[in-house]
Amino acid sequence: MNNFSRESLNTGKEYSRALFFLSPFIFLFSISLFQVLNLTLLQGDKYQTIAESNRIYQKSINPVRGFIYDRKGTLLAENIVQRDLYVTPAYIKDSSKTILTLSNLLNMPYELLEKNFSRGVKKAKKFDSFPLVKALNEEQIAKAKVNLDSISGIEVKATLKRYVLHEETLAHILGYVGDISFDDISRNKLLAEFQNTQIGKTGIEKDYDLILRGKPGIQTQERDVKGKLVRVLDTLGAEDGKDIYLSIDQELQEHLFKLFENRRGALVALEPKTGLVRALISSPSFNPNILNSILDTDEVESLFSNKESPIFNRAVSGQYPPASTLKPFVGLAAIENEIISWDKKIKDDGKFYVEGDPRPYRGWKENGHGRVDMRKAIAESSDVYFYTIAYDLTLSGIRPMLDSFGFGKKTGLTNFEANGLLPDKKWKLGYKGDFWFKGDTINLGIGQGYILATPLQLAMAYSGLANRGVIYEPQFIQPKDETSFEPKKAAEIQLSDKKAWEKMEQALVDVISARNGTAHKVFDANSAVIAGKTGTAQIKSILPGKEYDAIRKNPALRDHALFVGYGPVEDPKLVVAVVIENGESGSEVAAPIVKSAINFYAGGFNAE
Amino acid sequence: MQNKPLSFSVDIKLNKRRNLANFDYSIVLTVLLLGLFGLAMIYSATGSYALVLRQAIYFFLGVILMIIAAMSNFRKMEPIYLNAVWIGFFLLVLVLVLPNSGTTNRWINLGFIGFQPSELMRFLLPISAAAYLTRNPQIKLSDWIIVLITTLVAFILVFLQPDFGTSAIVLLSGIMPIILSGLPWRYIIYSFLGGIGTLPFLWMSLMDYQKERIYTFISPETDALGSGWNIAQSKIAIGSGQFFGKGYMEGSQSQLDFIPESHTDFIFAVIVEEFGFLGALGLFLLYAFLIHRLLYVAKRSNSKFAKLVSATLSIILAAYITLNISMVVGIFPVVGMPLPFISQGGTALVVNMITIGIILSLRRTT
Repeated sequence: MNNFSRESLNTGKEYSRALFFLSPFIFLFSISLFQVLNLTLLQGDKYQTIAESNRIYQKSINPVRGFIYDRKGTLLAENIVQRDLYVTPAYIKDSSKTILTLSNLLNMPYELLEKNFSRGVKKAKKFDSFPLVKALNEEQIAKAKVNLDSISGIEVKATLKRYVLHEETLAHILGYVGDISFDDISRNKLLAEFQNTQIGKTGIEKDYDLILRGKPGIQTQERDVKGKLVRVLDTLGAEDGKDIYLSIDQELQEHLFKLFENRRGALVALEPKTGLVRALISSPSFNPNILNSILDTDEVESLFSNKESPIFNRAVSGQYPPASTLKPFVGLAAIENEIISWDKKIKDDGKFYVEGDPRPYRGWKENGHGRVDMRKAIAESSDVYFYTIAYDLTLSGIRPMLDSFGFGKKTGLTNFEANGLLPDKKWKLGYKGDFWFKGDTINLGIGQGYILATPLQLAMAYSGLANRGVIYEPQFIQPKDETSFEPKKAAEIQLSDKKAWEKMEQALVDVISARNGTAHKVFDANSAVIAGKTGTAQIKSILPGKEYDAIRKNPALRDHALFVGYGPVEDPKLVVAVVIENGESGSEVAAPIVKSAINFYAGGFNAE
Repeated sequence: MQNKPLSFSVDIKLNKRRNLANFDYSIVLTVLLLGLFGLAMIYSATGSYALVLRQAIYFFLGVILMIIAAMSNFRKMEPIYLNAVWIGFFLLVLVLVLPNSGTTNRWINLGFIGFQPSELMRFLLPISAAAYLTRNPQIKLSDWIIVLITTLVAFILVFLQPDFGTSAIVLLSGIMPIILSGLPWRYIIYSFLGGIGTLPFLWMSLMDYQKERIYTFISPETDALGSGWNIAQSKIAIGSGQFFGKGYMEGSQSQLDFIPESHTDFIFAVIVEEFGFLGALGLFLLYAFLIHRLLYVAKRSNSKFAKLVSATLSIILAAYITLNISMVVGIFPVVGMPLPFISQGGTALVVNMITIGIILSLRRTT
């Protein structure tokens, strides 16, 4: 027997058993190979994507926000470097200890930092940093820089922040910017790519945000498992925002802002021939820089909780009864509908009675103005005259004229406008649950009752008077060349009697120039000739047996003072609407501002 | 007929001239290839020359020991093999007695060098067992029982360290010679059922982190950033390698440290990420070829001892390869086993090289 045959015999038990016990491993080995096949070939694309998202981090490069200038190139809003203290939660071991150290170092309350920290942690991704303290002052920067190396996860970053140069003066025109909120992102997904940047929240900053904001760049980075930058793969530069030139005249704006002396009210001044807004004031105002750098201070809280609502833009969102400033339009409606002629006189003894109602509609002047025609009725602001023609016109006679002058409609100047209110029967039934009474029409005749208008709407309506029926769309953006600028028409009102425009203007000039005019007090031979109308908007109707004197004890119930006018009448340069809340007398508080605005802007007049 | 008398006689002639000539050079070549590839992959995974150098020294040592072992005459070595297990027991007890750091007790530190006695045991135990079982022409039941008891003691000592993965391997390495040497099937089945019966007790004696690993395996999503994270990242690395891989040193998952333990237990993930399915297939073929050649020794040898040793060691090696890979690809719990010849780790490499050397020596016919 040779070796060979013995060997083959012996192959038996050990070898076959070895194969048997190897079989589970062979099985597992084969399954593993299939799993590799499955992962690499069948699911390879999916895992490739996951691996990419593991390593790739896209960091946005913030664009520089565009500057804002006035019509003459005066800088209104720029960006300044602000140093903020940033934290990266992933690198902080003991947050309360770090906050305590920082609170001592920066001399800031622990609770505030704690609050900012927990708020930031919720929003930020693990390796993202977020601002813990904004706008460090010089001392804090110095202290921070010396000590920061010893505190991990903390850095001082310089960022550009919006800075409005004239602060309160321009607050409502420019608005303010702020951090992107979750709401913003849910409304506009594209905003998600802007990290730690600010977007316009109100005003020009919001309306023209897309232009001012620019486009962010993207830096594609490779990061390791700890989020540490390994290398930069690609950089797509940011496209900076564009500058904007506003139609605002900063000198005029500043001059008028001072005249308000922080009284509650609003002003809109625009060029009737172009619709370019030259000044817009809402008072009291606020410092937009407080909100621009979004310091988490009590100042912000108090701004929003202030009872005088400084943030609210009264000029475009404030809705007031137009009161007697509405009379020219009611008058034109009566002439157009041939309810009355220019010279027809109506006896005004201070009271107007409707058939079957013993209660009189009273005029503002106890014993009336005597026999008045249209010119005198406008100049002296006869209520009874307008009660009479409104009664005859009825609602359907008044409404179309008011509608064509833009009452109850947004002008399109900004996104923050209120509609105002031009009531009709349907509206009253829907909102008040009642029918339209003749008394409602009578009240509408003197701009009281349900009708509401914004100062902007009043200015627009009066620009229609100045332009003999043409109203141009208002705008904030200064055209490159004013002389060749062709404004868009918002409305064109045709009167069958073209002379009606001059006649109405004459009546409006009388308001100041004629001795019997309601605003003759502000008459001044050195002033531009102004066509305008006073208004005194009642907030509370005077019940029978109650006198106004009793009501005016509460300042908040005092009448609003209005004046809307344009001038110089030979060549109207500016139309101005002013409302002073609870100012009582349009001639005393509102008219001087309008006069000053026109004289200041037209030049060559005494602007006092 | 497979074996022609002529070729056999040539074989004998060569054997007479030089022992070296009888080496299966394909085995040596495969092992060298795997070892060098391992060094390259450790460099890719860590970027550290120092680590690669350390491993290279072990590799060099391993090659020398492999050659020495391969040239030895196993018939003359049998008395040594018979008693080798005592060295293993001595070291295992030593590692438990010596003061330790951390929660596990696996290393003997000689200052300049550290090694794991358990890794040694899974190689000494089967050799001694095989020598013991084949010392007489006939195996008695008592022989099997003695080997079984020895195996269980070794298993418990490793389990106490605690090292779940290696203790299972030690158990396997001691039981394999018993089974392969002809233990009747009924005993095998009884013991298997008995073994299953002890599973609940085994489970109770597991450390928390070991239980955690099994939970994680069963449902990796429950703990995405904990232990499941490892498997998830490993699968991402493997999958993203796709067909051709991302290229050497170009695997983002491994280069950016997303793969945990990328130079030791999870090195297979690095390989597939960088060399793709093609690379994995190549590696599978190499390993399959190696195991096949090693088993061939068991098949062809005329010595029962040689058959037992080579078959057992081949199965152990196959177990390591299979369990490591199936763990890394996510079809088996994370048990903490290195990939033979490739993973960084000196003891395992040297032991594996000696294993190969001993199997090579078994091809001797005289």
